[in-house]
Amino acid sequence: MLDNSRPSEGIRFEELILDDRVHSTLYTDSEVFEAEMDSIFRNGWVFICHDSEIPKAGDFVRRNVGRDPVFAVRGRDGEISVIVNRCAHRGNIICQEERGNAKAFVCQYHGWAYDTKGGLVDVPYPAGFKGDFSCHGLERLAKVDSYQGFVFASFNPTVPSLGDHLGRATELIDRAVEMSPVGRINLSGGWVRHQLNCNWKMLPENDTDGYHVNFVHPSFAQAIRSNYDEAVLQDEESLKSEAKDWGNGHTELNFSPSYSRPLEWFGCAEDRYPSYSKALREAYGQEKGDKILLDGPPHAVIFPNLFLGEMNIVRFEPVAPGVCLHIHTPMYLEGVDDDVNQRILRQSEGALGPTAFLLADDSVIAERTQLALAGKGGWLDLSRGAEREVTDDNGVVVGHLTDETSNRGFWRHYKQVMQGPDQSSPTAAAAAA
Amino acid sequence: MVTIEERLRVEEFLFKEARLADESRYSEWEALAEDDMHYWVPAEAGQDPDDGRISILNDNRTRLATRIRQLNTGVRHAQVPPSRMCRIISNVEIETIADGEYFVRSNVVLYEYRIQADKEMEVWPARVEHKLRMRDGEMKMFSKHILLLNSEGPVRGLSFII
Repeated sequence: MLDNSRPSEGIRFEELILDDRVHSTLYTDSEVFEAEMDSIFRNGWVFICHDSEIPKAGDFVRRNVGRDPVFAVRGRDGEISVIVNRCAHRGNIICQEERGNAKAFVCQYHGWAYDTKGGLVDVPYPAGFKGDFSCHGLERLAKVDSYQGFVFASFNPTVPSLGDHLGRATELIDRAVEMSPVGRINLSGGWVRHQLNCNWKMLPENDTDGYHVNFVHPSFAQAIRSNYDEAVLQDEESLKSEAKDWGNGHTELNFSPSYSRPLEWFGCAEDRYPSYSKALREAYGQEKGDKILLDGPPHAVIFPNLFLGEMNIVRFEPVAPGVCLHIHTPMYLEGVDDDVNQRILRQSEGALGPTAFLLADDSVIAERTQLALAGKGGWLDLSRGAEREVTDDNGVVVGHLTDETSNRGFWRHYKQVMQGPDQSSPTAAAAAA
Repeated sequence: MVTIEERLRVEEFLFKEARLADESRYSEWEALAEDDMHYWVPAEAGQDPDDGRISILNDNRTRLATRIRQLNTGVRHAQVPPSRMCRIISNVEIETIADGEYFVRSNVVLYEYRIQADKEMEVWPARVEHKLRMRDGEMKMFSKHILLLNSEGPVRGLSFII
């Protein structure tokens, strides 16, 4: 059952998060962190895995939801359950391997056995067990749903639907999977777990911050010619890329307007992968196929822990107020030649992870920020570009690439979630009063 | 079985390679690598470099050159200033692959004092596999595989030459 005593009661989020600035306490305070684990990671939707990671009955992967250890497993009926990785008897880890296939999960402490739905099926020395098997199953996350194979789950049985949470951002996920001519991605490449000694919120913030690139990544720009030269490294007037707030904390850097050639986002000419281009045009029609080839994949964060990082998929994992993990895998495409996926893999290794040309620098910068926020701390500014952002016909707020439109969107939603449903809307609060 | 003299040449190479890496002398270190160099840090124990699984680092000679070029810009924040490092190498075992080519196993413990953000000591124990080649009287490497004990992570930033 959910704990109804909200740990965030004592924290005045309305005073820590203003429209144009946020207070450093939000990155350093352990009470804030505990409140996030509850309000964001237990009460809301969290990205767990992609269904291509567990294609067959009995396939499982271990994950954390906030700090709670869970595993996702596909049952014999094909349905995916997300189950707390803790024996219902004496609390031991029940699924020890990181990934694999199992018909049943047997606790190595006292041998209690569970099926792939978490139901208790066997207890050794049964004469001494006076309980009811049906009451001693593993704890299952109350809600599991998926969109385009991306599996999300929540501990909260009354969480609004996944569709409500994703809102318009389903379009971002559609764009990711439509990089495949058959509309399917495949996350079979394994994950690299990169630890940063900074608060987890710096990950979604930095991944959709278009302002830092010139300053954090000059060594990349000098050493490598890439698609980012056009997308992010121009002077202010020439930059065509955009920062976007899609609502519900989902944010994007849209590089597409800066591309003028098909596959520019892939760092190559179109004739490098002729069968890929052909397959996309055949699958989606000439017009949409052309658009996919020109625009490329999304660079967007799905609140709170999924990053559609162009041809990578990333999970953010909070560990402690000053520690988090950035965990990435290549976004392999179904229905393409191996050489396309080979390029995706090599680019993934180049861009993300501990040794990467990009992320290694981001991580040091984030760790310096964490250092600077120690102690009593102070305010972080979020005002850039507030006066020049516009809301498009779909309700998406669009700003200049270097503006803080995306991060304002993140914090607006964060504030609403952390304040809880009672205070999220002034109208509701007024009605209650 | 290699001769004592071959063993000395191989060990001499390992110590020199380690020193250049420890001291972040990027171009001098790069000069030890052959054109067919493979510089690799797998992400999983028992990983095959060609099985489609992601690596922490998987450089051919071209990408390695890019890596060195980036470090040499002087604005690679992750290594400004460079980490202070000290590698201890032991358990060196040498096999002959072909005439003048060697497969070398060693155990390495790398101590890294990270001074770019918070100052911390990080320890990187690894099994290392080199492939070396004697060319024009000089020992060069054409493969260096670093099998980190903690490759499945979590792994801290690793922007220096390992």
